[in-house]
Amino acid sequence: MVLVTDFFKAKKPAAKREQPSPPSGASAEEILASIPDAELPDTSDSQKLSFFQLQQRKAQAPQATGSVDIPEAKPHCLSGLTMVFTGVLPNLERTDAENIAKRYGAKVPKSISGKTSVVVIGDEAGPSKVQKIKKMHIKAISEEGFLQLLRSMPADGGSGGEAVKAKRKREEEESRIIQEAEAEEEQERARQQQAKIQHVPPSVSKHSSRLPAEPVREISNDDKLWTTKYAPTSTLQLCGNKGQVNKLRSWLLHWFDNAKNDFKDPGADGSGVFRACLISGPPGIGKTTAAHLIAEDLGFDVLEKNASDVRSKSLLNSDIKSVLNNTSVMGFFQNRHADVHQENERRFCLIMDEVDGMSSGDHGGAGALSQFCRITKMPMILICNDKSLPKMRTFDRVTYDLAFRRPSENEVKARIMTICHREKIKIDPSIIGQLVQTTNNDIRQMINLLSTVSKTQKTIGAEQSKDFSKSWQKQTVLKPFDIVGKLLNGQIYSPHSNHTLNDKIDLYFNDIDFTPLMVQENYLYTRPSNCRDDSDHLRRVAQAADDISASDRINSLIRSSEQQWSLLPFHAVMSSVKPSREVAGNISQRINFAGWLGQNSKQMKYQRLLQELQYHTRLRTSTDKKELRLEYVPLLAKRLAGPIVSQGENGIQPCIDVMDYYFLTREDWDTILDFGVGAAKGEAVLKKIPTKVKTAFTRTYNSSTHPIAIYKTGNSVGTTKSTASTVDYEDVIQDDTLKDDDDTEEKDDSKFDSKKDKLIKEVKPKKGAKRSKK
Amino acid sequence: MTKESPLTLELPWVEKYRPHKLDNIVGNEETVERLKLIANDGNMPHMIISGLPGIGKTTSIHCLALELLGPELYKSATLELNASDDRGIDVVRNRIKQFAQTKIQLPPGRHKIIILDEADSMTPGAQQALRRTMEIYSNTTRFAFACNQSSKIIEPLQSRCAILRYNKLADDQVLTRLLEVCKLENVQFNTEGLQALIFTAEGDMRQAINNLQSTVAGFGMVNDVNVFKIVDQPHPLVIRKMLRSCCSSQDIDNAIDLLDGLWVKGYSAIDIVTSAFKVAKTLPDINESKRLEVIKEIGFTHMRVLEGVSTYLQLCGMLAKICDI
Repeated sequence: MVLVTDFFKAKKPAAKREQPSPPSGASAEEILASIPDAELPDTSDSQKLSFFQLQQRKAQAPQATGSVDIPEAKPHCLSGLTMVFTGVLPNLERTDAENIAKRYGAKVPKSISGKTSVVVIGDEAGPSKVQKIKKMHIKAISEEGFLQLLRSMPADGGSGGEAVKAKRKREEEESRIIQEAEAEEEQERARQQQAKIQHVPPSVSKHSSRLPAEPVREISNDDKLWTTKYAPTSTLQLCGNKGQVNKLRSWLLHWFDNAKNDFKDPGADGSGVFRACLISGPPGIGKTTAAHLIAEDLGFDVLEKNASDVRSKSLLNSDIKSVLNNTSVMGFFQNRHADVHQENERRFCLIMDEVDGMSSGDHGGAGALSQFCRITKMPMILICNDKSLPKMRTFDRVTYDLAFRRPSENEVKARIMTICHREKIKIDPSIIGQLVQTTNNDIRQMINLLSTVSKTQKTIGAEQSKDFSKSWQKQTVLKPFDIVGKLLNGQIYSPHSNHTLNDKIDLYFNDIDFTPLMVQENYLYTRPSNCRDDSDHLRRVAQAADDISASDRINSLIRSSEQQWSLLPFHAVMSSVKPSREVAGNISQRINFAGWLGQNSKQMKYQRLLQELQYHTRLRTSTDKKELRLEYVPLLAKRLAGPIVSQGENGIQPCIDVMDYYFLTREDWDTILDFGVGAAKGEAVLKKIPTKVKTAFTRTYNSSTHPIAIYKTGNSVGTTKSTASTVDYEDVIQDDTLKDDDDTEEKDDSKFDSKKDKLIKEVKPKKGAKRSKK
Repeated sequence: MTKESPLTLELPWVEKYRPHKLDNIVGNEETVERLKLIANDGNMPHMIISGLPGIGKTTSIHCLALELLGPELYKSATLELNASDDRGIDVVRNRIKQFAQTKIQLPPGRHKIIILDEADSMTPGAQQALRRTMEIYSNTTRFAFACNQSSKIIEPLQSRCAILRYNKLADDQVLTRLLEVCKLENVQFNTEGLQALIFTAEGDMRQAINNLQSTVAGFGMVNDVNVFKIVDQPHPLVIRKMLRSCCSSQDIDNAIDLLDGLWVKGYSAIDIVTSAFKVAKTLPDINESKRLEVIKEIGFTHMRVLEGVSTYLQLCGMLAKICDI
């Protein structure tokens, strides 16, 4: 930072003294004017293009080759300019171009507005943007023009009004950062001195009363982690989420007023009815810090529980519940002169961190906690990462929901610069953008990275940024949707991409169960890139389908009793990489979740029902399940439903006769209708039968006795199987010495039992029916 | 170290020659340099070291801890848990937390170190339980994780740590170390033998040294034939040559000659097919869609071999089909 400012100071007078000889001293406007306008495409014919059409057109446009030399420009030469990139640039990738522009100080918003000073336009630019350019008379240049601009612009963006303004702003920002850093250092010194005078360890009150007190030994700042050293000491230093922080503060401030109203009055922002509040957001954005700071700021005694404490239902009940209406003794020990928050000092604030981290061993913890949220006599702040998890649903209504968002680059920038200044690291401002990107706006990670890197490097310039961003990236397991999105998107297959085959196979290994299913579900919804015509598309889809079906064979071998897991990489290739390579391109619709799971369970259900049907009709039919389904069921459906549909109540008796003949039950009647497809679909047939007739049918059926075939219970009764297996298991465990004969006998017994059960269930209503008859 | 030497209790060479100083660690210079500075200055941050097996992750953490704390304090001020220890959520809540709370007098800038090896095998629940512990006790205790895949570590923990990635060791780095070991152990070797060792290890130092020791124990002399006998893996270069003569020049005769060579040496069909699969993934000069076709053919042969048809004919058929692509 110091370097940069020094640089300016050195540069400024020199630039002023020089004669304004173009192009070095010319203003941005003059240089811009010297660059030829790009041709704006005619927009009259393409008024309305859907998003997908646009996407497609973009895909058809030639891919950026990235084979152009980017000229070395003067530092900050684009400052003061607002540049918008649109369309596909012939040689540069758009993100790259934007990064270049940012690096040289230009503002790069996504859309065109009145403030835009220049538009860099490529092929296939959106028609609405082109119209806007025409309407607002904004200068439009081509990629070539952009490069020319880079070459010819003087440092600091020349002497134009905008550039000077931007420069002044930048300098102001820098001086502010320096001031801030100095102020902080001052504070730090003051705090240390105070600590020395009072001989009180400075951080005792920081942690909850339940944790053991910090060692009294002074820990010098240099030995602390940067994340502790530079942890915000006031809410003003928090980056981002200002609104949410203020909401939290006002909620906590008014908590006891609300308590007097018995939480009936919602108040101005609707927070008055909640006894607890839930902060959610990704890691490293200051959730816990915000909660602690505000609670301490308002003078609460903080009691913290986190995932490192056991938080099962019983422990919460014994530990926390008793605390919920307690008074803190901390207030009595405070010095009298600090009587601003006296009232709050005897009050606890319970911070429950990592609520979604309740796992095994915390049985019933979440439920108990949400109970406490309803009855607590002291404020509770819950913190979690992901509010959408099913286990977090219990907190939905009972807590005041505050979602923290990732802070933007601008919000983080000042803080990072301050830290760098205090640590005497020279950092290029454009690096911070990259830091933010690679860490996914995670402030803590940024600070950690800086502290590690700074061990060896005290100057971080733009050149090294590329290597950093790669090694700094957090790695997380991709979700199935992301995996498929990546696989089916054409980018990773382009010859220029640096994804090796192994990388693609690794995508599969992120989730070996779902990836193949998701590819299979979505491979039809792409528009393959470089696809010549429809027949080519069809050929590719056919090839992909071929591969997927081949992968199924591999899968069955892998999951067979032989367990040939060594085939897994091959399965990866055939089920995911190869088919998606065939059809990869723009995904033309939302990525669907694999439908196979649902369909499979439906299929299993029908199989089960069919099995049952076969057992029932065993005495009259002599065929296997398949034949029964294909030959008998359609006819039965006709005979069972036909008379009722055509003759109404008169048709009931013939139907029941047929059912009795085949030993069918009332449930089987529904099942057989369910099996129908097409025009004979169960629902369609049932609709034709009036409700009155249907109830009459049920009544008539229940009022008479029906023959029941003694049949073997099959898989149809879900519980039979499990009881049988548990019996077996116990046998093995308990009497190892039992002879085989005993064993089989036992098994028979168990089967008999369950059969009896089934029959008893069915007999009972009949008995009742008989009685009612009498 | 020949066969005649009396049976003495000897450590595996991997342990015997495990570096005890950061200076002796081979490879990943930049990262190790950073660790050295940390060892000098103290104030070690929480860190995650991730990378493939056998490239010195655990060793570097141990070296760092040793250099930071010195041999006297090392025992009392470090807690090491690896996958062989129980590291469920209870252990994290009890043992790790207790260790973090214990007071040990350390020189300024030094902290207790908790080393969690193979951290990717910890359950997410246990990792969750570490989160606040890492922050609250950060003034006295620092954590070091070693893992193969950093993606298996939950995001909140990654956010608290400096992530250091170790890369595969370069071949010459493995070579230097192997030469050192050979010299100290008086091993007879030739260049091809070392080449073969390096090739089969694929940048895994531990494997290279293990293979070296086994070769020495088994045959005494380290040459390529002996090494491949120990490693029991068809020579990848031969396989690559075989596949390339199929793909590039459609020269089936040459390919079958090479295959015969392997077959006669006694490699089973499954050995040949699996290493063919590995080689095909990274076959140079052949575009990716063709490589996928080649992989497809190899894979199907792999399936048939696994189903029991592990004949010479299958392999010839595979080569012929690849020629045909």
